[in-house]
Amino acid sequence: MKLNIVEKSRLWWGLSLGVILVGLLASGICFAQTGAPLRLGLDFTGGTRLQLELDCRPEALATQGDRCDRPIDLGDVEAVLTEQGLANSATQLLDRDPLKQDRQVISIRSKDLQVDQRTELVTALAQRVGAFNPTATQIDTVGPVLGQQILSSGVLAMVLALAGIVVYLSLRFQFDYAVFAIVALLHDVLVTTGAFALLGWLGGVEVDTLFVVALLTIIGFSVNDTVVIYDRVRENLKQSPEASIAETVDAAVNQTLARSINTTVTTLLAVVAIFLFGGATLRYFSLALIIGFVAGSYSSIFVASTLLAWWRSRPSYRPPAPPVVRESSEV
Amino acid sequence: MQKQRFTLGAIVILAIAAIAVLVNLDLKLGLDLRGGSQLTLQVQPTAEIQQITPDDLLAVRRVIENRINGLGVSEAVVQTVGSDGLSVQLPGVNDPEQAERVLGNTARLEFRAQAPGSEEAFDRAFVEQRAIRGALETARAANNAEEIAKYQGQLDENNRLFDTLFSPPELTGQDVQDAYAEPAGGTSWVVVIRFKSDGAEKFANLTKSIAGTGRNLGIFLDSDLLTAPRVDVQYAQLGITGGSTQIEGGFTLETAQDLAIQLKGGALPLPVELVETRTVGATLGRESVQSSLYAGIGGLVLVLIFMVAYYRLPGAIADIALVVYSLLVFAIFALVPVTLTLPGIAGFILSVGMAVDANVLIFERTREELRAGKTLYRSVESGFYRAFSSILDGNLTTLISCVVLFWLGTGLVKGFALTLAIGVGVSMFTSLTLSRTLLLLSLSVPSLRRPELFCPNLPTARSATR
Repeated sequence: MKLNIVEKSRLWWGLSLGVILVGLLASGICFAQTGAPLRLGLDFTGGTRLQLELDCRPEALATQGDRCDRPIDLGDVEAVLTEQGLANSATQLLDRDPLKQDRQVISIRSKDLQVDQRTELVTALAQRVGAFNPTATQIDTVGPVLGQQILSSGVLAMVLALAGIVVYLSLRFQFDYAVFAIVALLHDVLVTTGAFALLGWLGGVEVDTLFVVALLTIIGFSVNDTVVIYDRVRENLKQSPEASIAETVDAAVNQTLARSINTTVTTLLAVVAIFLFGGATLRYFSLALIIGFVAGSYSSIFVASTLLAWWRSRPSYRPPAPPVVRESSEV
Repeated sequence: MQKQRFTLGAIVILAIAAIAVLVNLDLKLGLDLRGGSQLTLQVQPTAEIQQITPDDLLAVRRVIENRINGLGVSEAVVQTVGSDGLSVQLPGVNDPEQAERVLGNTARLEFRAQAPGSEEAFDRAFVEQRAIRGALETARAANNAEEIAKYQGQLDENNRLFDTLFSPPELTGQDVQDAYAEPAGGTSWVVVIRFKSDGAEKFANLTKSIAGTGRNLGIFLDSDLLTAPRVDVQYAQLGITGGSTQIEGGFTLETAQDLAIQLKGGALPLPVELVETRTVGATLGRESVQSSLYAGIGGLVLVLIFMVAYYRLPGAIADIALVVYSLLVFAIFALVPVTLTLPGIAGFILSVGMAVDANVLIFERTREELRAGKTLYRSVESGFYRAFSSILDGNLTTLISCVVLFWLGTGLVKGFALTLAIGVGVSMFTSLTLSRTLLLLSLSVPSLRRPELFCPNLPTARSATR
């Protein structure tokens, strides 16, 4: 089996552009709705999130009456919130045991609450709904200023990582390799953020600090994938300088294809395991990685390689001076 | 062969050392995994101190540490973060309510003498204060937010009036040596204060100046008039000596303790703001450890099976290298020590992916060389040699991201970057030395020296000759 990648360049680019455009559209809709291209979570907007679980441990059952046999009434929760002047908070019922769908966990997202307000709210809720299990609560408060800082330091980290990668690849390869590697990884970042804009619009999925971590991981993996192919292109160019760039790139992609697929598969095995069986905290983190890794191997095989072939096959292209670092290719 | 035996011996010793480390040292689990509260405070600049120096930050940290120690939480940790942040970690705390109260409040305690000629105004204001306090109490009991806000506003107004009726403070929380809660009969508690020596002197002077004049001693907490006892005429000669007093203010055990902690811990040299609290209940933490652990082990096992199924003998060798890799990485986690958080575990699982990738690159290259007709030994050698630059480039670019993340990231992100970086570093080592040594050693065993164990469906079966 041999893939003719370069021949169908326009098809691969069209496919990528299509997916990215859908993502941008979703981002646009998200922006119109929330003022941000993605649905920003607590980490970035600031506020308080409470997750309270009805206490149904054996030692608490005696005092809970029949509360553990039925779901919590969301109306009760909202009534308490209104009494406390927090009517515009987002509330949601979650399952204590996902298999039973018992709806006995309350999740509340409100404005930044001070300790007194928060304690009052929890006490009032406990009176209305039933006692909560203190060992299963989750309370997060992020000040609005800090949220801004987290967001800007995340973006800064991403820009600096990109700059570092460009410098490194320019030294190890040549500047045009570095530029196309960056194009490929921007592709992966756009596909992933587009997917989350879509999820945010359709499913209310929010992005948090872990999403930034996921994007940075995707960047690392995407460059890794691209570098392996470029490494092969460089080697092939040295061995047979007379071959056309299209042939060279096609050969390199095919020679590394088994590796590209196997590495993506093994990495995905681990990440899919986290997605399916890991805690709820890591669910969307692993989903972002799955989308990003798939996009990453696609962009390395179909986008980064074809862009390089297109660039170097232009009539006006003059090969630059040899790279700074050279390796002998014979054992 | 001699060299390979030596390398193998060294790695076996390393692996045994790693097991010994893991048996003897516990891995440090982050609060998101073991349950607990993490509070992040930001020190606020004031008009006098606009630039927060490291010394200022340390001074604030000492005070915060004192206050936290007063709470009696075991293994509580206070760390400085960046140039103006403090992170307080309280393992096992399910509701950081008490900590937040103790940390957030400045607890400015002031003893002030009533100004001469203000008696009439004071009496009126004092009666008014009692009335507002009563109404506020009722509103709180009924949970009426609107009323609470109304009376709170009146109380603030009332306090501003008191502020004009008392002379500037001569004695403050800075003069406090020790403070503790003591029962005062029934459910009410008082806070007993012992002054430092010059504080005791100031207190004696202060009480002497108003004893028997009909004017009161105002005790203010955060600009709030708590109580205003009258000093008996018998103290007009010397003032109240002995260097201690007690504050009554309708305290419960808890509020009395809170105040005592704040006073004893000293006044904060700079105001702090609580910018972030993250609390995970212990059960919730345990559940996420378990499910992430199972997911990680499950993913790892699948990868191991895949490697043997696809790459055969080299795959099996890579699996041994991966197990050693995991041992080494966790030993390093225990030694550094790295605090493992959920993103940290994710970082580890991803580094496993990188470790596998290095092996995949090598084995694919070996197969290619075999297909090109090279001998087994040369194919393995050249597989390692030629895959090296790809492995190096890939891992270095990942390390660049890690460095940036570790440098700029906040707590959780830092943990991820650190575990990923350690994983990438160790994986370079295990895949380039251990996999290679084992493969070359296996080639010295005649029954393993068969190309079909390395690559199925070779065009022409070739016997391995060197």
